[in-house]
Amino acid sequence: MTRGPQAVWWGFAAGLALSAAAGGVAAQPLRTPMAETGVFGGRFVIGALSDAKTFNPILSNETSSSEVSDRLFTALTETDNLTRRNRPALATSWEVSRDGRVWTWHLRRGARFSDGHPITAADVLFSFAVAYDSTLHPSIYDLLSPHGRRIQVSAPDSYTVVMRLARPHALLVHAVGSLRILPKHVLEPVWRAGRFASSYGVGTHPDSLVTSGPWRLKQYVPHEKTVLTRNPFWFGVDARGRRLPYLDELVFAVVPDQTTCALRFEAGELDALDNVKAEDYRRFERGQPRGGYVVHRLGASLTSNFMWFNLNTVKRAGGRRPVGTPYADPVRHAWFSNRDFRRAVSMAVDREAIIRSVYFGEGAKSWSILTPGYGPFHDPAVTAPDHDPAGARRLLARLGFRDRDGDGVLEDARGNPVRFTLKTNAGSVRVQMANFVRDDLARVGIQCHVAAVDYNTLIVNMREDFDYDAILAGLGGAVPPDPAMCGNFYRSSGATHFWNVRQPRPETRAEARVDSLFDRLLLPGTLAARRALSSRIDRILNEECWLVWLPVMKVELPVRDRFGNVAPNLLPHRVLWNIETVFVKPRGRGAGR
Amino acid sequence: MRTFVLRRLLQLVPLLLAVIVLTFALLRAAPGDYVTTVAADPQVPTATLEAMRHRFGLDRPWPVQLGLYVRNLVLRFDLGESFSHHRPVAEVLRGAMLNTLLLALAGALLTWGLAVPLGAWAAARQGRAVDRSLSTLAFAGLAVPEVLSGLLLLMLAARTGWFPVGGMRSLDWDNLGPLARLADILWHLALPALVVALVPLAGRMRQMRSSLLDVLRLDYVTTARAKGLDERVVVLRHALRNALNPMITLFGYTLGSLLSGSLVAEIVFAWPGLGRVTYEALLARDQYLVAGSVLMATVVLVLGNLVADLLLAAADPRIRHA
Repeated sequence: MTRGPQAVWWGFAAGLALSAAAGGVAAQPLRTPMAETGVFGGRFVIGALSDAKTFNPILSNETSSSEVSDRLFTALTETDNLTRRNRPALATSWEVSRDGRVWTWHLRRGARFSDGHPITAADVLFSFAVAYDSTLHPSIYDLLSPHGRRIQVSAPDSYTVVMRLARPHALLVHAVGSLRILPKHVLEPVWRAGRFASSYGVGTHPDSLVTSGPWRLKQYVPHEKTVLTRNPFWFGVDARGRRLPYLDELVFAVVPDQTTCALRFEAGELDALDNVKAEDYRRFERGQPRGGYVVHRLGASLTSNFMWFNLNTVKRAGGRRPVGTPYADPVRHAWFSNRDFRRAVSMAVDREAIIRSVYFGEGAKSWSILTPGYGPFHDPAVTAPDHDPAGARRLLARLGFRDRDGDGVLEDARGNPVRFTLKTNAGSVRVQMANFVRDDLARVGIQCHVAAVDYNTLIVNMREDFDYDAILAGLGGAVPPDPAMCGNFYRSSGATHFWNVRQPRPETRAEARVDSLFDRLLLPGTLAARRALSSRIDRILNEECWLVWLPVMKVELPVRDRFGNVAPNLLPHRVLWNIETVFVKPRGRGAGR
Repeated sequence: MRTFVLRRLLQLVPLLLAVIVLTFALLRAAPGDYVTTVAADPQVPTATLEAMRHRFGLDRPWPVQLGLYVRNLVLRFDLGESFSHHRPVAEVLRGAMLNTLLLALAGALLTWGLAVPLGAWAAARQGRAVDRSLSTLAFAGLAVPEVLSGLLLLMLAARTGWFPVGGMRSLDWDNLGPLARLADILWHLALPALVVALVPLAGRMRQMRSSLLDVLRLDYVTTARAKGLDERVVVLRHALRNALNPMITLFGYTLGSLLSGSLVAEIVFAWPGLGRVTYEALLARDQYLVAGSVLMATVVLVLGNLVADLLLAAADPRIRHA
């Protein structure tokens, strides 16, 4: 048996004396790491662009719901967003067998749900059973199926859970940490009756919403606010053994419009924003000393931006067109299939101009979906052809593209003018980016027409009907920020392997190499070894230039300075991840003590 | 009169059916469905999407979906379940509808409370400074888009602190006494209601003005003046009543658009109303929620027009006896 570095936590938590806090604490309280010891009381109001749609953590599909439900329900482990490592939550420690296939988890004794009912291994098993319900098929189903196989979960006693895997997996602890623990005594009858899909919805009475996390529901007013208050049975404590959270209330105030949200923050009605437009950064920075807030600069976002060309072909036999027929116009498909054409496009784009104008200087170049925000997995040595219009023109000339009729637009060897349509989603900053790309391409003689389409249409185009030439889009950050989470993108069989999705067998040799490297990325290994693998994958992608990379935005968030322990981070949920340790600094004195 | 009302209400049935079919057809014609919006997140597996489509019945042909919807509606007054809210549509709409009615009624009250006297005043002082400056103001109000006036008022609120920056209630509303609660809501209502009122205000004012001017040119007004009546009595007692007739019809139509006229103000001021819910439902392709909201708007529109006709009949004996 090997013991993980986390095993040290076991002694830490167990050695902690019982505290004198009201109601008594769990037999094994969780000492939550924090910068300074706080004081109790107060309220924290964060602006949310949209309502929580459900409090059921298994069913939530959007951040507006998960940012609430993740506060309500705990898991076996949680991520420390600052160190990006797993730390104990409901599990005090865990061990893995030498072959990496058997994991033993030790549960915290004395942990209780918000109704006082003990949390035991039975609740963990129940949560797994729901996650593996194939009629619901929740998103977490696949995450909890390493290498496509379910984990065999058993409980030898009330405080031990054993998981058996077919093959070892790099992200098992993260996957297990994503499964929120639900109260079996409340939800099992509901689940058996087939009503789980509508359970713990926003209409649930606060008293019957039994939670396992630091918070419980106090009030939900549709389209206005969600109010959480402390779970009196939460097992997390501070350095003095007092039960967290410090705050009396955590309020999600719904403000659907970003401009209104910013104004409301400035007026002092909100304590933090989770989303700020780059154009507002200057304003917030200028208002800092007077406004009673601090702007936290978090660095380059996890959300990447890129464009790609449609290389998709008909995959299934029996349709109108034979297998292998390209969806794009055959003339254009021939250009798009040419690596030098794609490189020329990448070299035409002036990324610095985009950073200056679209992001008001607050952007960064990125050459992978592993943006600089991915920390250890971001490899600065990975690059792709950058701005070089003269080089782009030379490449195009070598392909036989010349301006034969003198109209400023190149023609290919057969006389077809080189033009294509670039689609992107309307109403986003990406439209501006697409306009820059269009102007840059015009400078090298390629005519690009920008079409801003409705978001749903774009999704259908890229996933189902493949009715496009090129698309400018991006990917939100993976949780956890690990390349192994991006299989849908890297693998040739993936549904978001955008340029040619769901290939039954890798169609190019480069893609076959990526697939096999990616399989190795899924196996446990040292960070350095896994990072080397992901760099090799990214180098292959950039060698082929399947994607034309565009800059990413830097993230800045303002938070009121009267709160202590505020440590916003790029990982979700940026401001809230450690909200149970956040406290109101006493006035007039220094914080803490 | 009773048969008239009854006939109008019966006409609602085919109208609602047509509206439902049209709503479904339009939603179907647009690419994608609710599950597509979920598919935007690459971490949601394909099997999850298929399970969802099956659970929501989106994998069935749309005439079947439509048939089931109409059957549940007729037999059980069941508007179905909202996909994105995981709740019955009726529940989602109820609260939002009341909030929108509050905002729209406040807006209408403001519009009409200002438009009628100001329009009448402008007509009585036709061509003079008062008339001209009121016209200029009205056109300025008409020319500024709601988004802009909304944002400007919001900025005023943020800078001065005289008004709250959006929302319908303070966070501490639940701890307030009944009078303080009312005051709190009115305080939050002031700016969005003003934005809702500003655009129609100009039009209504102009209509009031021209309507009164028309009447003032009629022979009986000349007679009244010739009789030596005070000008104020001529305008207020003799001319105004007749000039109000077309305005009453217009007021009825205002009632009809109560649920749909405040979308922009709702979004800018974070007002928890129906416009916002419907807009978000449209973006999310939440089809039963969209259908439910359209149905409600249709019912209110028809009832509003009916009330307009009844009001007119009450105000003008000539129509009643026709």
